[in-house]
Amino acid sequence: MLQHQGEDIFVVDGHLHAWDATKENIIHEGGEQFIKCFYDYHTGFTPEERQWTLEEFRTYSDEKFLSDVFGTGDVDVGIFQPTYLKEFYENGFNTIEDCGALADEYGDRLITNGRFDPREGEAGLEELERQAREYDIQGVKVYTAEWRGDSKGWRLDSEDSFEFLQKCADLGIENIHAHKGPTIRPLNRDAFDVADVDDAATSFPELNFVVEHVGLPRLDDFCWIGTQEPNVYGGLAVAAPMARGRPQKFREILGELLYWLGDDKVLFGSDYGIWEPDWVLDAVVNTEFTEEEKAEYGLEFDMETKKKVLGENAADLYDIDIEERKAALRDDEVSAEFDTGAQYEGAAD
Amino acid sequence: MSVTADAVRDALDGVTDPELDQPITDLDYIETLEVSDNGDVRLAFALPTAWCSPTFAWMMAADARDAASALDGVGEVRIELRDHMHAEEVTRGVNEGLSFETAFDTADGEVASTRETLDRKARLARQYDATEALDDAGLDDRQIARLRRGDVTFEDERATVDLDGLYVELDARPLERYLEKARAVDLVSDDDDRLFADRDEDALTPADVPRARRASRLAKTNMGGQGGVCASLHASRNPELAGD
Repeated sequence: MLQHQGEDIFVVDGHLHAWDATKENIIHEGGEQFIKCFYDYHTGFTPEERQWTLEEFRTYSDEKFLSDVFGTGDVDVGIFQPTYLKEFYENGFNTIEDCGALADEYGDRLITNGRFDPREGEAGLEELERQAREYDIQGVKVYTAEWRGDSKGWRLDSEDSFEFLQKCADLGIENIHAHKGPTIRPLNRDAFDVADVDDAATSFPELNFVVEHVGLPRLDDFCWIGTQEPNVYGGLAVAAPMARGRPQKFREILGELLYWLGDDKVLFGSDYGIWEPDWVLDAVVNTEFTEEEKAEYGLEFDMETKKKVLGENAADLYDIDIEERKAALRDDEVSAEFDTGAQYEGAAD
Repeated sequence: MSVTADAVRDALDGVTDPELDQPITDLDYIETLEVSDNGDVRLAFALPTAWCSPTFAWMMAADARDAASALDGVGEVRIELRDHMHAEEVTRGVNEGLSFETAFDTADGEVASTRETLDRKARLARQYDATEALDDAGLDDRQIARLRRGDVTFEDERATVDLDGLYVELDARPLERYLEKARAVDLVSDDDDRLFADRDEDALTPADVPRARRASRLAKTNMGGQGGVCASLHASRNPELAGD
């Protein structure tokens, strides 16, 4: 748990990856461009003494992952967001199998989401059913800019996509995380347009749509949609590390999100392994609005809001009872490994 | 008489990164600028990343060419985009006066509509600074909503606002910057045109002003926030530029 001003904050990191961008797995130059682009984001925001080498960044062991996230990282529960990119990577970049293996082993700590791609048609629907059956997924990550054959992307509000969203609703997969963020080479910028979230969210009120990376550079379009659709959320991955290097920009973005969407609709995510939750969380939790900003947005980033953004909001979406979970984490393997069990003392059994 | 490098640089202050709405001169994109004795201009620039939108790169290269070419005493203008995945196509296309679609056989965007979309966002974002300046100068929401183009005159970096015979004077800069984009999107051209509008470019009633103010603040935050992402990536490529 994160300690802040004498209180414990239960942290759900809503955006984790376990990826493989080793040279052996890359089958298209896009794969090399993609990981190098991620690496530029890594070096662009990470404090110099915490930067990894490109080789360390291509893939990481389970031990390193667990240590960075739950050891130094102060995360209590994490959610994997798979990213397939099978046109670029032989075995995929970050698949449900990779994430699911860890989530199976550390069930109280890690949740894996699934994914779908409506361009896969009937086979894709069957695959979604398999993921629901085998991994009991509560959410999916969708990557509308992913390449497939001649197609350079798809839209959430297309007829094919609606068939898959309906399947999600039928299977009880309630959380749809859409990557809508900064351009990632070599994917086309316009495939990250946020407008398609609007219609999908209206048509499927029983689903929750989490716009990852809060739509940057379309934060304005995203917030506008978010005010009108009660089931639209913003994931802070990519915005969060700005809390350290560009704190004023981060406060402005956070202020707008809290103003337009409300404090129940903003979710923390580190985007590990792009950034380590340790220093990202430290920067986010120490963020305070200035008096002028408090007046401007009419709100505060106080302890209550921090607890919501850093854990409670995601816990609600993923049906995590925080007090029960603390009791389960007290004696688990991860707490034993990193000697973090004592912080959960006092949790209800 | 031939032109100076300072004059060219001043002209380039008017060229913006269309996604961030900031001058390329402030963003440290310009790597070299040379003006020869006979007025030929050589400009090389680089963007925060090699994969920045080629459409945006094209717009900046073409705008820089046009801004320099428009100066008296300028001869040939050569623009070079460096360290970009489409450096060659942009450099060649802009110097040869090709269209974007001709220079890129795989173009999936088209410059004019992209420019228009971003101009509309910039118009809204700039409205924030303009209306804040008027608010600071003492205008209320009713007065701001009712302003027409003809109510504002500019002289010597000062703007004068005519409120039915009552005159308010303020710094011209935020209003001039706003008008530049309001004209670009055809929102304001005649003296009778209302100066400000909401997000959908409909005229404001006094009651709309607070909401339009927040919408324009949001547009500005978006451009500034993305600017932060770009600046971090730019600094990562050029360590000497690190900082907030």
